[in-house]
Amino acid sequence: MENKLSHPSRPLWLPDAKKLIDHIDALHSPAEPTRRTSLDDDLQKLHTVGLKLNHFIQSVSRGTISDSRLVRHELRNLISATIGYSEFILEEMEPIADMALYNPLRKIVHLCHQLSNHDSHEEALSYAASPVPNTLGGTILIVDDQMESRDILKRYLQLNNAIVLEANTGTSMFSVLAEKEVDLILLDLILPEMDGDELLELLKQDEKLRAIPVIVVSGNKETDRVIRCIEAGAEDYLFKPFNPVLLQARIRAGVERKRWHNKELQYRKELERNQHFIRSVFGRYLSEDIVTRILENPEGLDLGGSQRKVTVLMADISGFSSIAEQLPPQRVVRLLNNYLGVMSDVVMQYGGTVDEFIGDAILAIFGAPTSNEDDSDRAVQAAIAMQKAMILINRQNREDQLPEIAMGVSVNTGLVVAGNIGSEKRAKYGIVGHTVNQTSRIGSHCEAGEILISEATHNDCQSSLVTGPAQSIQAKGILKAIKVYKLEKISAPTAQNSRTEASKPNVIG
Amino acid sequence: MTLILLVEDNDMNRDMLSRRLQRRQYNVSTASNGDIAVKKATLEKPDIILMDMELPVKDGWTASREIKDATDTPIIALTAHALSGDREKALAAGCDDYTTKPINFDHLVTMIEQLLIKKNS
Repeated sequence: MENKLSHPSRPLWLPDAKKLIDHIDALHSPAEPTRRTSLDDDLQKLHTVGLKLNHFIQSVSRGTISDSRLVRHELRNLISATIGYSEFILEEMEPIADMALYNPLRKIVHLCHQLSNHDSHEEALSYAASPVPNTLGGTILIVDDQMESRDILKRYLQLNNAIVLEANTGTSMFSVLAEKEVDLILLDLILPEMDGDELLELLKQDEKLRAIPVIVVSGNKETDRVIRCIEAGAEDYLFKPFNPVLLQARIRAGVERKRWHNKELQYRKELERNQHFIRSVFGRYLSEDIVTRILENPEGLDLGGSQRKVTVLMADISGFSSIAEQLPPQRVVRLLNNYLGVMSDVVMQYGGTVDEFIGDAILAIFGAPTSNEDDSDRAVQAAIAMQKAMILINRQNREDQLPEIAMGVSVNTGLVVAGNIGSEKRAKYGIVGHTVNQTSRIGSHCEAGEILISEATHNDCQSSLVTGPAQSIQAKGILKAIKVYKLEKISAPTAQNSRTEASKPNVIG
Repeated sequence: MTLILLVEDNDMNRDMLSRRLQRRQYNVSTASNGDIAVKKATLEKPDIILMDMELPVKDGWTASREIKDATDTPIIALTAHALSGDREKALAAGCDDYTTKPINFDHLVTMIEQLLIKKNS
């Protein structure tokens, strides 16, 4: 092979080409001519291509054309024309009447494909043998029932320093996967027992195996099934006879992705170990800055119950249950995750703590576990920012073809009991008390797009607020009517820490 | 009816491809070099262009770039070379898709139809 490669003037495909010319020649001297001039015309053209091919081969053999790029260009044009005319005649003829032509033409098309395969393999080998290192590395599992296909693939992959494992059925694939760490699977679509697409589904259902990138290999008539494979989680696809450079590029990308995945896993494990303690105590509901503050004050770890003044913020999507009824469950979750994600960020941005998601409702606390003199101000600012963020959420919803939503926000200030509430196994930092119930009642009077704040919050705020007139809410189960205001805007937020007392964050202990 | 501009300097392939395409009910206009291709692309406003990359006078990459600067006609690059970065070069020149010789005709027709659907949607 080394020898042939170093003599580009004697390409591997020469014998194929000579055979092809013989067949074209034989075709054009039939014992009896066809009866239709249109066919004779095209046969004449095919014959002309044959003559050109012959002429070309002689030039190549003599070394008249030696530039490999030029040779390839010309050869592929000739093959393309031969296949084209042959298929054209096949389409045009009447199979029964022109029986004598049918098989020889099929044979010519077949020889063209064979010639073309040899030509592209040779090209690939010349690239693989080029001094530029083409190392893929990694362990690649080939799943194909045909030994020849596996051998061709194996040859390319090994030339690129990949470790190659083989399987001929789905069963043997799974047993290889059980024993060896695999970076990439090349999966043939047509297999005995179970086809590639079914195996792909099984792979993607497996928690451990789903991370291994799968490249589906198939004949190019199976486009539909390939699309289904991609949808089912295949990384990429390749058509047979495969283009070696594409194969290399796709495999490299796949192996690379797996490596990143492994690195990411490792990194995540470390991070998890480091944060295990923090998370076990605080869950996900505290903002970064509060966690840091508490960790810096060891006494802050004692989160036993205490009565404290907090500002409670509740947000609700208007008419959520009827929206949810009209959507499939996955879409509902998507809608909610998008909404809750954005809103949690806003709450944390203003130093609040997301205490709970109750369905579509958000319960956020300002003032626990750490209290600040501007808790109610930040809560009010957060409420306005949340309403503004609805534009963003609805833009995303439109993109995702989800319905647009509107939200009401209620804010209330008062005393609550805050602390780790629950059993020994499952406890969570939370708040309970009259103020929480009150906030919920206010929320039920909140129109879409509105912010209602209680009188207590209004009084507690240092910033000057622009509100509507006072309204009275007579809530069931609560004796006194609650006075609330519709918040329009904040006209002049006060400078931070304008009051001298309590300017420092007060960590509970 | 769909008008295809076929740009190919190889006489045999131009003849063969244009006839096969006509048989599939496409209107075909042809050009044998990159310069004619650019002119025909703007004058005749084809629905789609099949462009050989190695062309005389003006190569396929330059012609594609010029056509893409002036129109948004989809272009399928046809080339003899699968391995030498021609694909990347064609896509960088603005071509929408790419196929190598020998041409798989059914595959090419699928490609054409998909680009036409994409263009009209």
